[in-house]
Amino acid sequence: MTLTETSQKTVDAYLKSLRRELRELLDEDAEEIVEEIRTHIFDKTSGEESPEAVTATLAALGTPQELAERYRTQELLERARLARSPKYLMRATLRWAGLSVMGLLVFALSGLGYGVGGGLFLLGLLKLFHPSTTGVYGILTEHDTSLNWQSGGPNKPGELLGWWLVPIGILIGGGLLLLTFRFGNWCIRKFWRPRAWQRL
Amino acid sequence: MKEKEEAPIAIDAAEKWEVQLRKGSLELAILAALWGGRLYGLEILRHLETHSELIVVEGTVYPLLNRLKALGLVESEWVESGSGHPRKYYQLTANGRQRALDMTRVWTKFSASMNGLLEPLDGTKKEKEKDRRKKKGEDDDSD
Repeated sequence: MTLTETSQKTVDAYLKSLRRELRELLDEDAEEIVEEIRTHIFDKTSGEESPEAVTATLAALGTPQELAERYRTQELLERARLARSPKYLMRATLRWAGLSVMGLLVFALSGLGYGVGGGLFLLGLLKLFHPSTTGVYGILTEHDTSLNWQSGGPNKPGELLGWWLVPIGILIGGGLLLLTFRFGNWCIRKFWRPRAWQRL
Repeated sequence: MKEKEEAPIAIDAAEKWEVQLRKGSLELAILAALWGGRLYGLEILRHLETHSELIVVEGTVYPLLNRLKALGLVESEWVESGSGHPRKYYQLTANGRQRALDMTRVWTKFSASMNGLLEPLDGTKKEKEKDRRKKKGEDDDSD
């Protein structure tokens, strides 16, 4: 089939915009999607190459932004579900955080969980290798109770856990990391309804 | 006045319910379309249009096919065609066939139980229709 020059330009602009919108996906996946949509447009307008037919075909697909959104949300969601990888999970949670308050809440809780869990885990490890300079210290004064950790040499008395920091840090910190990951995964599966699917 | 305000909301809610129903059925509809063998995107769309009353938005089917592929329910391959460009064909995997059978079983059971539940409503509808016809007949006789 041969499209008119104007129609060809419209199709090219649509596909270029779609490719740009899909930049978060792997290049290989994004290019395959663009090729499939190009084939769809050619097949759909085959035998009726008027500019109106091309416009109607593109309208039925939605704008490049809408179409890409449907791919992106599904892609990230499925990768988070299937790969169970923290990297994909965080990307999916980040995307969700930008779409709803619920997503934002899950993202904040996940951030807190990873922060505290990761911190404890690292402290446990550091204590193992630098026992004299790593510890958790409690300071009790008349007006204030606080807990802090430090590395670089204890300058205050009152180390709280001593060697117990190693198993406690590694087990509780590691457990918290795992729990946060599972929490994020569970929330996404249970509550995330990608926006694109509400427009079916 | 209050009733007039509520009416559009009720229609809107009914439409949303119908959209959700169609949306929930689309995955099974696509798996069913592929049951007979491999098809490419536009063929799937045409199959759904011809064999069902599903109003399918084109921009929805391709991302859904992508998702079914990510789930391992379908696989795809590019095949050269006589039209001058290759087309991406989809076909069910063993998991996809099993999933289609499982979903069909659930669907059949669910629709049978819903039909049983809806029978009285259907009866009421038929009675109303009968009454309406009867009344119309009496009016015609009096003329």
